[in-house]
Amino acid sequence: MLCFALTCGYAHAQHVVSGTVKDENTGEQLPGVNVVLKGTSSGTISDAEGRYSLEVPSQDAVLIFSFVGYAKQEVPVGERNSIDVLLMSDISTLDEVVVVGYGTQKKSVVSGSISSVKAADLEGMPINRIEQALQGRTSGLTIAANSGQPGGGATVRLRGITSFNRDGGNNNQPLWVVDGVIIDNGGIGYLNQSDIESIEVLKDAASQAIYGARAAAGVILVTTKKGKAGTLKMNYNGYYGISEPARKLDLLNATQYATLRNEAAAANGDPLPFANPEAYGQGTDWQSLIFNKSAKRQNHEFSISGGNEKSTFYTSFGYLSQEGIVATDISKYKRFNIRLNSTHKAKKWLTVGQNLGYAYNKSIGLGNTNSEFGGPLSSAINLDPITPAVVTNPTEANLPIYTNNPVRRDENGNPYGISPYVGQEMTNPLAYISKQLGNYDWGHNIIGNFFVEAEPIKGLKVRSTVGAKLAFWGNEAFTPVYFLNSSNIISQNSFTRENNVRLDWNLENTISYTRTLLEDHNVTVLVGQGAYLDDNTRMTRVTFNGIPADNFDDASFNYKVPATQRTSDASEGQDHTVSSLFARINYDYKEKYLISALVRRDGSSRFGENYRFGIFPSFSLGWVPSNENFWPANDVVNFLKIRGSYGFVGNDNIGNFSFLSTIGSGRNYTFGTTGSYLNGFSPNAPANPNLRWEETTSTNIGFEATILNDFTFTFDWYKKATKDILQNPRIPFYVGAISNPAANVADMENSGIELELGWHKQVGELTLGFNGNFSYLKNKVTNLGNGIKFLTDGNAGFQGSAYSITRTEVGHTYNSFYGFQTQGIFQTQEEIEAYVGPKGKIQPNARPGDFRWEDINGDGLINENDRKFLGNPMPNYTYGFTLSAGYKGFDVVVFSQGVAGNQIFQGLRRFGIASSNWQTEALGRWTGPGTSNTYPRLVTNDPNNNLNNPSDFYLKDGDYFRIKTLQIGYTLPKSVVSKVGLERTRIYVMSENLATFTKYNGYDPEIGGGTMSIDRGIYPQARSFMVGLTVGF
Amino acid sequence: MESMKRYIKYIAVTAVTLLPLSACNDFLEVKPKGLDLEANYYQNQEEAFNGLVAVYDVVGWQGGNLTTKVGATLSASDDHLGGGEGTGDKTFTTWADYTLTPATGPQEDLWKKGFSGIFRANTLLLKLPGVPMDENVKKRFIAETLVLRAHFNFDLVRLFKNIPLLTEIVTPDEMYGIEQATPQEVYAQIEADLKAAIAEPNLPNTVPASSEGGRVTQGIAHALLGKVYLYQQKWAEAAAEFHEVNGATPGALNAKYGYKLVDNFGDLWKSTADVKFNSESIFEVGYTSTSAGGWGCIACTEGNILNIMTGPRGYTTKTANAPDYISGWSYFPVTQSLFDAIHYDPRYKYTIANLDSLKQYGIADYTPGAQNTGYFLEKFAGRKSNTPVGQAGAPELNYPQNMYEIRLADTYLMEAEALVMAGTDLTRAADLLNAVRARVGLSAVAATMDNIKLERRLELAGEGHRWFDLVRWGDAATVLAGRGFVAGKHEILPIPLNELNNTKLEQSKEYGGTR
Repeated sequence: MLCFALTCGYAHAQHVVSGTVKDENTGEQLPGVNVVLKGTSSGTISDAEGRYSLEVPSQDAVLIFSFVGYAKQEVPVGERNSIDVLLMSDISTLDEVVVVGYGTQKKSVVSGSISSVKAADLEGMPINRIEQALQGRTSGLTIAANSGQPGGGATVRLRGITSFNRDGGNNNQPLWVVDGVIIDNGGIGYLNQSDIESIEVLKDAASQAIYGARAAAGVILVTTKKGKAGTLKMNYNGYYGISEPARKLDLLNATQYATLRNEAAAANGDPLPFANPEAYGQGTDWQSLIFNKSAKRQNHEFSISGGNEKSTFYTSFGYLSQEGIVATDISKYKRFNIRLNSTHKAKKWLTVGQNLGYAYNKSIGLGNTNSEFGGPLSSAINLDPITPAVVTNPTEANLPIYTNNPVRRDENGNPYGISPYVGQEMTNPLAYISKQLGNYDWGHNIIGNFFVEAEPIKGLKVRSTVGAKLAFWGNEAFTPVYFLNSSNIISQNSFTRENNVRLDWNLENTISYTRTLLEDHNVTVLVGQGAYLDDNTRMTRVTFNGIPADNFDDASFNYKVPATQRTSDASEGQDHTVSSLFARINYDYKEKYLISALVRRDGSSRFGENYRFGIFPSFSLGWVPSNENFWPANDVVNFLKIRGSYGFVGNDNIGNFSFLSTIGSGRNYTFGTTGSYLNGFSPNAPANPNLRWEETTSTNIGFEATILNDFTFTFDWYKKATKDILQNPRIPFYVGAISNPAANVADMENSGIELELGWHKQVGELTLGFNGNFSYLKNKVTNLGNGIKFLTDGNAGFQGSAYSITRTEVGHTYNSFYGFQTQGIFQTQEEIEAYVGPKGKIQPNARPGDFRWEDINGDGLINENDRKFLGNPMPNYTYGFTLSAGYKGFDVVVFSQGVAGNQIFQGLRRFGIASSNWQTEALGRWTGPGTSNTYPRLVTNDPNNNLNNPSDFYLKDGDYFRIKTLQIGYTLPKSVVSKVGLERTRIYVMSENLATFTKYNGYDPEIGGGTMSIDRGIYPQARSFMVGLTVGF
Repeated sequence: MESMKRYIKYIAVTAVTLLPLSACNDFLEVKPKGLDLEANYYQNQEEAFNGLVAVYDVVGWQGGNLTTKVGATLSASDDHLGGGEGTGDKTFTTWADYTLTPATGPQEDLWKKGFSGIFRANTLLLKLPGVPMDENVKKRFIAETLVLRAHFNFDLVRLFKNIPLLTEIVTPDEMYGIEQATPQEVYAQIEADLKAAIAEPNLPNTVPASSEGGRVTQGIAHALLGKVYLYQQKWAEAAAEFHEVNGATPGALNAKYGYKLVDNFGDLWKSTADVKFNSESIFEVGYTSTSAGGWGCIACTEGNILNIMTGPRGYTTKTANAPDYISGWSYFPVTQSLFDAIHYDPRYKYTIANLDSLKQYGIADYTPGAQNTGYFLEKFAGRKSNTPVGQAGAPELNYPQNMYEIRLADTYLMEAEALVMAGTDLTRAADLLNAVRARVGLSAVAATMDNIKLERRLELAGEGHRWFDLVRWGDAATVLAGRGFVAGKHEILPIPLNELNNTKLEQSKEYGGTR
């Protein structure tokens, strides 16, 4: 298994051996490598250039080379006096180290459940945001992009959800910790993926509990790259390519549209709106007007790292630019990154250092990325295909609607067409784009920490870290005078500037002591203390109205409009503070029996005075039978670890001051005869001093194995029980309160299994690899408190419908789809007559072609009580795998991921606007007996609520399997590149989202958001093709 | 060893860094910015007064569904109907035709009103002892709050009979565990609150009308206590309290409180400043046109919404001398029965607006609304002359006419009733009754219950007393039989349906419950 190469020298009878130690892959010299004479304690350490020199007693001597992160090598000296060694980096072996909270641990002795993604897994991957780096790469995570808007975030759920949606579901996003600095949910997008050394996903309470009251939604630790002592290393990686939409919706053309509109009108008894549908031909394809098949995309990263025994550094520069595939002029993203990480050994016993990242981003967003209420995409889906995109016909262009209104025009002065059929929020996307041009959001993020670590006695480390995140962000927006249609009119322009600033900081002090007692007892003890402050956003916004400009470029705040034309606003956030104490002990005996226990005590400013401090303990046990003497010494099962854990974590993401009673105004009254009134103030609701964290108890049982040397296998089973989930239940009126105070009332359970499988094999010059993972998750609400039967989620409205399309009820998955159930279509009047209940005909007003609704409660009526659970928005199954192969200089990587078990609610057609266009599915509508049993007749007023009722008709299977990345690379032979002074040169081509296999007929089955899988016309993920280059100097 | 010293130094530095943070309670005490919190409010006299104003606010409560105590009880009485537009507003018509269910009717708003007031009063009573302020002023505030709490509890127990009795704010822990009290327990608390207020020398006998008119006085406390006794048929105690309010000589000024019937009955229904808090007014509910109330929050206005509600719908004048009603919403139309009873009474023209007559004579026109009778409530119908002009807000929600919760003619008649029922001083009873009659030029009659009942109906028509009186006298079942009133059921309102969800409250037996 150990691959090494020796450069043999000639035999000399000397006692000194010297040589250079290098990395086998990169050829980089390795300083600090331990070189020990086997069987003795004498040895040396390689210097900054990787050189070592050691006296050996005889030719029988054996040298042991060891270095963290590399496989140990034993080399018999023989007659040689010069031995150069290539160490193989050791990512897949058991000496791998994983980052745990406040430290690292050897993977083989970790008894909690942690999944890792390493830099090597991400190298050269087209990853714009860190969520993409995780999607499909580890078990336990369900990740769905919120949209395909460049720079857009994603919805991340670690082992399900443990809280009810508030704040758009952000309270269910895991805690991100970058180099020890806690980053709020929205802020993680600043990271440059090539700076990432590793990502650790802490999945069970045993590993999470070190983050106590903030860990219930899971913890993701990100570690950025550090320099290594040795020669200066420079790396460039970049790619350039284009993106395109993978799929268009099949929408009706103008003739089909007119035909179906006529049919719907006739069914309604209305006059036909279109005399001659054939005359309209194909009409306007709105989608093709906004889709860009060659949106540019590029990414360049350059890093320098190196150092000596005293100081090491890693510094990098990154540039990312991506154009959106929808309405590119108003959908773009740019980011610049700079990073400087350095470590200095100030004294033998004292290390200081810092990790500092800066990012600037400029983002142009089209606004509605998943909304059925207008915006370019939604309008393109719903607008009739008859209206021209640009009106060139002079007769039409001289209609009053164009001449009497400030309509938007193209560069030739022709007005953008305004639909006479589909109005309200649906507007000509080209006109919409023209009014948004130039508007953008910007952000500067400075995130970093500074640390001092002293090691006064070997193994005892005292460390102080201060970390901070300083963020500035805002936007600039000019709104011109416009008339998009009669519902979208702005008669005075405005120019708005918004600035936000926010500073979060933390201070942590830890003392750890690692010691091996009596040779076999390995103990590490950690105690620490932390203080955290965040949430203090300060915002100011100024708007000037009616400035003498008509586009963004000309707009300026130097136009001094009168005070009455200026509006301003400002606000500031409320501080959130956390104060913590924590301790952990890790113990193992001969790496056979593993015990870890930890406890964190968190105080949070968000908790009521009666529960200011929460204590979160956890422990885990492990047994490594393969290290037992009885374990057969064969190569079948090389390594086996069985582990289990139990513990408690909390969620303090419950809003600031929810426990307090606020005083409300406006309780006014008038005394006397003067006519003036007095201001009255009283509490809005009683305080809830008992308000506390949501608490999740988690049990995890798993094992890890290495089989036949090449296979690694990890299995986990877990169960999480969350109690005291926060809600604002309606309180009885007799309490007399105006608002409903928050209270800890509900309970929920998540359980699941996870598998990770790896296989790596080298056959001659062929390397093969496979990494796969699979997760199954089940979520169940077990209690809603106070006898409350169900809850509905404000995020899950369906256009103007009175019905929420999801419901949370005890015994069901949180936020399950809920609605009416169709039972086919009435083919004939007889079928309607025959559909009877206790009160006679159940749907007396139905006509053939209408849905037959299931009378769920059997009362003979169809009303709100005839709804049921229809499906689940969150996938039960997620999986991903990477296949890799290399031969000589060539390499191929295929990374794919998928989900299964969820439904998608396809609510992208505006049923409230009866004249909205249809997908071509509508051509298969019911038109007479036997024509369709799934798609109802079209009728303008929809008296049977065929389309108005949220029902299973709108639900589609959400399963998909996606080839996320395909990359083919070629590394030029070293003999060639070294001539021009390069260490390594690789060229590659790749594709992102090359193919998606799904039955779903919308743009994209991957739909994030507070409640996932509701397709309101989602901005789809792009398919990209890129060429790239990696150069190492 | 040199380096060892440095280690020690470093450890000391770390320890020093740790120390201030171990005192982390301060660090966790985050001051909310820009938010007033209950915990740090009520820090001075001004904030205490703001809290008191909030309690008074509930006295003038007008619910988001246009529900007011007076409006709702008008619709239930034999003098009025629900009215409103077209099919009518179910909130009131269901009480007018006694088709109330726990889900439909005005009960939820009236229930909310009462308990909102009690919550605010209990909050203030909890906070006041700790407020650094003038102790005498504080004692006055406490007495005022007790009287207001008694007022809210009295309305609740009269309307619902079976209510929770809350003398402290309900904490989230006990929120769902509250049970109903017996009416006797509630009445005992009401009496105790009023007696405590009366015993407080800092509660003044009178207040300056211009600046403090409407604030609780000893007179209000006595009048309310008398009424509370009267509802419990404690005749002697009731008579004693009313005697205190009405004074030694019926019709003459009671100098202690400044009470005297106003000379001109019609003046009572004006909304000008000189009429507000007149000598006949005991417990008056203040409204104003200056609060800029708008449609966004009807409950937020300080204007009187009964004016627009009771006005005739689609009113247009045909002649110059037509009355200046504004076009209203035709709620609470007056019944033929009240018209017949009052038609030849001097108070008729101040009580009823006869739109049918105006229409018939071509003076004005209007559009009949739901349950139209052609008769409207003149006492409150909004007029052009009191419609706010040049004020912010919706004019129709900002009428400044005050309402009388208790006025002297009422207490005269209540005392007369108590005396007659007790059979004690029939002479004084007759003097009281006839003082009320004499004011409008009617001759004296004997002090009998029948005469008192009729006098109350005519004198207090449209002011929200009739339904309570009918129920109290046991006459409701007879008088309201034609309206669907069922004896043993409709004497009270059902406990609102939503209030039974997840709580320990029981529905009253009258509505099929267990209480």
